[in-house]
Amino acid sequence: MGASLSNAAENGFAAGGTGLGDIPESCVACVFMYLTPPEICNLARLNRSFRGAASSDAVWEAKLPCNYPYMLELLPVCRYEGLSKKGIFALLSRPVSFDNDNKEVWLDTISGRICMSISSKAMLITSSEDRRHWNWFPSDESRFQVVAYCQQVWWFEVSGTVKFPFPPDIYTLTFRIHIGKFHKRLGRRVSNCEHTHGWELGPIRFELSTSGGHRAVSECLLHDIEQEDAKVKNKRGCWIEYKVGEFIVSRSDPVTEVRFSMKQIDCTHSKGGLCLDSVSITPSNLRRSRRTGSFCK
Amino acid sequence: MITLQSSDKDVFEIEQSILIQSGTIKNMVEDDFTFIPLPSVDTETLIKIIEYMKKHADKTDSKEKNIKEFDKDFMKKTLNELFALVFAANYLHISSLLELLYPSIADRIKDKITEAIRQIFSIRCDFTPEEERRIIMDNKWAHEGTEIEGTLD
Repeated sequence: MGASLSNAAENGFAAGGTGLGDIPESCVACVFMYLTPPEICNLARLNRSFRGAASSDAVWEAKLPCNYPYMLELLPVCRYEGLSKKGIFALLSRPVSFDNDNKEVWLDTISGRICMSISSKAMLITSSEDRRHWNWFPSDESRFQVVAYCQQVWWFEVSGTVKFPFPPDIYTLTFRIHIGKFHKRLGRRVSNCEHTHGWELGPIRFELSTSGGHRAVSECLLHDIEQEDAKVKNKRGCWIEYKVGEFIVSRSDPVTEVRFSMKQIDCTHSKGGLCLDSVSITPSNLRRSRRTGSFCK
Repeated sequence: MITLQSSDKDVFEIEQSILIQSGTIKNMVEDDFTFIPLPSVDTETLIKIIEYMKKHADKTDSKEKNIKEFDKDFMKKTLNELFALVFAANYLHISSLLELLYPSIADRIKDKITEAIRQIFSIRCDFTPEEERRIIMDNKWAHEGTEIEGTLD
């Protein structure tokens, strides 16, 4: 990575004096078809030919997913009217809210693949209206600014659904959970698991199914989920992205409906002390951000 | 036989059947030209183009693997040589060669930072500082959440 300035063979001009600066804009645009959006934008400042090619509609149309008109319709017209294809890509690479702002969808900047996050507010949670069992608290650790906390229940059931014209791809569905509560004290983040109980008596059952006929089921003790995550991250007391499974979408038409759930309904014992933020649907094998090591937002 | 003349005034006699891979030459041959001057293509580049077309003229099944090997080696040139080839192949309308060149060039330039490219290829920046600042701002969105190492921003 970075410049290889010392490569002598690359220096100087070819015999006829034709160099990078002379290539017609249309050829540069063809080269750009093979580069990622950040790479294209990085080269836009080289000279006018490159800037022109970096704004070419043909290049950006190829980067947009097939369902981008649907995503645009989730926004007010004034936001996208008159935009170039590059402008549309830039617009959609930031989260687009839908379904009463309880869901967000965006394009991964590098690959143009679709990512989605579904807030706990959009889910059906048994006994969530009873503050003795569940309550919501504001948090900037959630992209939806709010987290659901399970204090104590006997019947733990969370389920949700989303209907969306996902482009053909393989997607992974994860639940974002946190063991115990957390808060900030004197600028430091403190995790508190003293009310976490009951999970050791039976596994949590995670399920996902799609209208395309795909199903995935995963059963795991919370303790094991925590162990696995701590092994990977080398620390505890943070958000866990638990992978439920994968599903394939082969066509964006008709729209795909994805149903997901998380249950522990053995009523012989109570359980609680668990935060639920959201469910994420992201393309499998998405390249991770070099800076944060998390999925590109 | 068709005669091609490079910008350096060197001439090459090649069979018509090989040269029709170039859309530009094909059109001229159909208009009965047998001597074709190419003022935009120098001798060094023309020799490479002819080498490519000769190899690709015989596309029988048994030669497929050889052609693939040849193509791979053919791309092992300096970046400036590749640029000269793109320029010539674009002018001559040799689409199969262009399809090879575009990803090879993309691969070579994608990691280089702007200043390095300008220095290596002595490209004159035809933007005012104000214009360049604006372009950087306009394109900042693409780097949110990712890091291009070595930028001068």
